[in-house]
Amino acid sequence: MQIVVNGKAQEILSECTVFQLLEDKAVTLKAAVVELNGIILKQEHWQSTLLQTSDSLEILVFMGGG
Amino acid sequence: MNDIIQSFNPSDDSLLIGGVNLSSRLFVGTGKFSSHEIVPRVLEASGAQVVTMALRRVDWKNPQENILNYMPQNTILLPNTSGARTAEEAVRIARLAQAAGCGNWVKIEVVQDQRYLLPDNWETLKATEQLVKEGFVVLPYMSPDLGAARRLQDAGAAAIMPLGSPIGSNRGLQTKELIRILIEEISLPIIVDAGIGRPSEAAEAMEMGAAAVLVNTAIATAGDPVFMAQAFRLAVTAGRLGYLAGPGERRFEAAASSPLIGFLQEG
Repeated sequence: MQIVVNGKAQEILSECTVFQLLEDKAVTLKAAVVELNGIILKQEHWQSTLLQTSDSLEILVFMGGG
Repeated sequence: MNDIIQSFNPSDDSLLIGGVNLSSRLFVGTGKFSSHEIVPRVLEASGAQVVTMALRRVDWKNPQENILNYMPQNTILLPNTSGARTAEEAVRIARLAQAAGCGNWVKIEVVQDQRYLLPDNWETLKATEQLVKEGFVVLPYMSPDLGAARRLQDAGAAAIMPLGSPIGSNRGLQTKELIRILIEEISLPIIVDAGIGRPSEAAEAMEMGAAAVLVNTAIATAGDPVFMAQAFRLAVTAGRLGYLAGPGERRFEAAASSPLIGFLQEG
């Protein structure tokens, strides 16, 4: 199924949780923040949230900045 | 000189922001460093307690990278809202930063102008009003305008952060007179942010009564960022001491430093 991750369409397997997606992409889990369809998804819900077709996900981390 | 510095204890002269007593009046930004590995050494040399960073989409080429891994413990994290063009976008970024576990401090940065990166004071005010209501400690980056600063103060900002010159320009205190007026008229801490390019400029801002300065590019792009961080630390302390000491009056004409009597050639 297709979802949008950080503005780009991506094919993922069905029955995939947010947590699995982050692990598959090797995202540092500490201090990453996720927005699902415009709503912040707290870390405690990553394992229990199944991605749905057309979901839009933002995965953000902290970078150097002034 | 060491005696003077040692007898002045910055923790006796702390800066209260958001309920926290800060002994360092140098805030440091973490952008533009050649590598993240140098950041802990820079922060140590700077003595900074408040450190800024930015929230961005994860870099798929480097998905493990996160600047927070390089922050010393007990650092007060000050995420900025860079990239925001409107108040709504700034509020969204601030909420995300808080959800990432960065505490509740935020530097509001709302910019539409891409050439000079000058902040939009109106959108900044709207974001400040909203985020103060949500319990954030809000430090708005702004163009130094007295009316806007008063409104930010009324909205509950924790400090006001006027720019000295455009972000990353290293051009120093081009807005000096306007900043001087803010220092005089606004009771909140005035933290000069953006444009400070040399330690002497940081000292100048502190000497005129700024509560603190935020420095990033000047340190990150220096030949030796660790030495430059230390130089800024000393300059901020020197400028603060100069302010507290009360500089003497300026005069147009000379006023002799030596006695005007008892000259050799007198008859």
